[in-house]
Amino acid sequence: MKLRYNTEIISGAVFAVVGAVLWLLIPSQIQTMEKGAVNAQTLPRIAIGGMFIFAIGLLLEGLFAREKKELVITADSFRSGAFKKELRSIVYCLFLVAYCLIIQPLGFVISTVLLVLAVMLYYGARKWYYYAIPLAMVGIVYYVFKVLLHVSLP
Amino acid sequence: MEQFLGGLSILMQWQNLLVIPLGLAIGIVVGAIPGLTSDLGIILCIPLTYGMDPTMAILMLLAIYCGGTYGGSITAILINTPGTSANAATLFDGYPMTVKGQAFKALQMALFASTIGGLISAFALLFLAPLIAKITLLFGPAEYFALAVFGLSVIAGVSNNSIFKGLIGACIGLFMATVGVDNISGTARFIFGQRKLMAGIDLIIALIGMFAISEILMKSKYNPKTDHKSISASAITKDKITKDEYRRCWKPIGLGSLIGVIIGATPGTGGGLAAFISYNQTKQSSKHPETFGHGEIEGVAASESANNGACGATMIPMLTLGVPGDGATAILMGAFMLHGMVPGPTLFAEQGNILYAIMLGLIVVNVFMYIIGSGFTRFYAHITRLPYEILAPIVMTFCIAGAYSTNNRVYDIFIILIFGIVAYFLRRMDFQLVPILLGIVLGPLAEKNFRRAMVISEGSFKIFFTRPISCAFILIAVGSVLLFAWKNYKSRSAKAK
Repeated sequence: MKLRYNTEIISGAVFAVVGAVLWLLIPSQIQTMEKGAVNAQTLPRIAIGGMFIFAIGLLLEGLFAREKKELVITADSFRSGAFKKELRSIVYCLFLVAYCLIIQPLGFVISTVLLVLAVMLYYGARKWYYYAIPLAMVGIVYYVFKVLLHVSLP
Repeated sequence: MEQFLGGLSILMQWQNLLVIPLGLAIGIVVGAIPGLTSDLGIILCIPLTYGMDPTMAILMLLAIYCGGTYGGSITAILINTPGTSANAATLFDGYPMTVKGQAFKALQMALFASTIGGLISAFALLFLAPLIAKITLLFGPAEYFALAVFGLSVIAGVSNNSIFKGLIGACIGLFMATVGVDNISGTARFIFGQRKLMAGIDLIIALIGMFAISEILMKSKYNPKTDHKSISASAITKDKITKDEYRRCWKPIGLGSLIGVIIGATPGTGGGLAAFISYNQTKQSSKHPETFGHGEIEGVAASESANNGACGATMIPMLTLGVPGDGATAILMGAFMLHGMVPGPTLFAEQGNILYAIMLGLIVVNVFMYIIGSGFTRFYAHITRLPYEILAPIVMTFCIAGAYSTNNRVYDIFIILIFGIVAYFLRRMDFQLVPILLGIVLGPLAEKNFRRAMVISEGSFKIFFTRPISCAFILIAVGSVLLFAWKNYKSRSAKAK
């Protein structure tokens, strides 16, 4: 499969869809009792309407006025270095999502230590003191927030 | 004159001079941690001041306020995350300077510009307070709305080569600003049944997500074997600001300080808006606007002089009219009252000596800030030598703790992650994040005052053009957008040739 694209086409299409969906959601998400022409829906309508109109403009700019890249998708594309790099970003995002899920049950210190270890292993850190510095920092941050600033951490 | 000399003698007492560096050190540390603001620093230290006399207490809290505003620039420059919202404009050129290996120079300029801005602001507070307060009293909803529009005109200057992307970014920011309960009608907006969204999205949460988390995700492809550049300790501090750079930066610093004083003295605005406007004006008046956003030292000077320039000026409406200029001065006003001083027109007559000691003290605060900051800058700059595999988890730890501490809830950690992923997508699509930030910062100011103005004018748009200050702001905003468009057109034509 062959695709011709640029960032304008992708982002224009995405925000045109997002803008249209949000516009349709306005009546259900902003149930105002105000009767005047300017009310709680006015600024959201300007922002969302603007997003949709400018996204269409961006899409047209991408289609007709900007250079396009060509992407040929084959079975080999999924084994390429570029694809593996993109996968790495997704793995990194998954670390952060997993962290958000474990912080409440495990608490700040344990979950952050696990996150730090995961990130260090992800980058392939080998030296022991590379691990020691961020791990010590978790303890310092906990102490500074909890003891000195009286900010409770989970 | 008698009160002035009385104030000077109070200020010169050793206890008063001792609390200033202490307050500054606390302020710089608090300001440099993303998620913790100088407001929080002041709140946490108010109990420490109970036993102090009023001058000593207020000077310490003022030092935290000024130190915090400067401290926020450190992380903006080093890790692309402003410590406070007032330093958001410092990101534009501060972080690119770090990427170019000029972190020490950027930190030095941030300190220098912050000090000059702070000093000009302190002198304005000392000599021009009543006059400036009178001018800001002329501001009504139409003027505030026009000021917000003027701030939004910055978008034209920071959108680089796609104005559509800049405008979409501003719309995203404006939309984000509407999430939560509408302050005027009490209507819930886009909360999708989540009670936790009723209070809206906290600005500092958005900042951490958009800038720090997206930066971490952008660097997820970092390979320690090939991408790490080892820099020697001496090379870090070798690249100092040259005489020519100081000469070039005088104009942005002067302009930034002036803008900081005017915007800071206008209640409900603050250093963040001042920094954006100053940056935009400096870029527009520059002979080389194309270098801005790519590590231009004048950009750092413009934004940092403006946000610290606003510090002293926010005290003007508070001391003369009893109206706090921003969140920090509202807390300071509480501290004044705790110590038996009621800010307002009668304060000068009743406690003039103490007031002059405080106003003169603000000058000393800024001088001390330069001395203390100079010592620390050398140390901070070495952070850039850390391999990224060490820096990334440290930054993450600070961001998570900072995000959690904003409202004491895990929910905000989810929010920074969502913001981070969205901002990562936008950066991959060559969007600038600054227009989104502008939308979030200026959206509430614009909306509230637009609606008020429309009520006053019974639905007529004429109100924005018949009032001279409002009309002037709108004309300047339109003029600056047109000027940018013309300059862009000229530079594109030159490139095409």
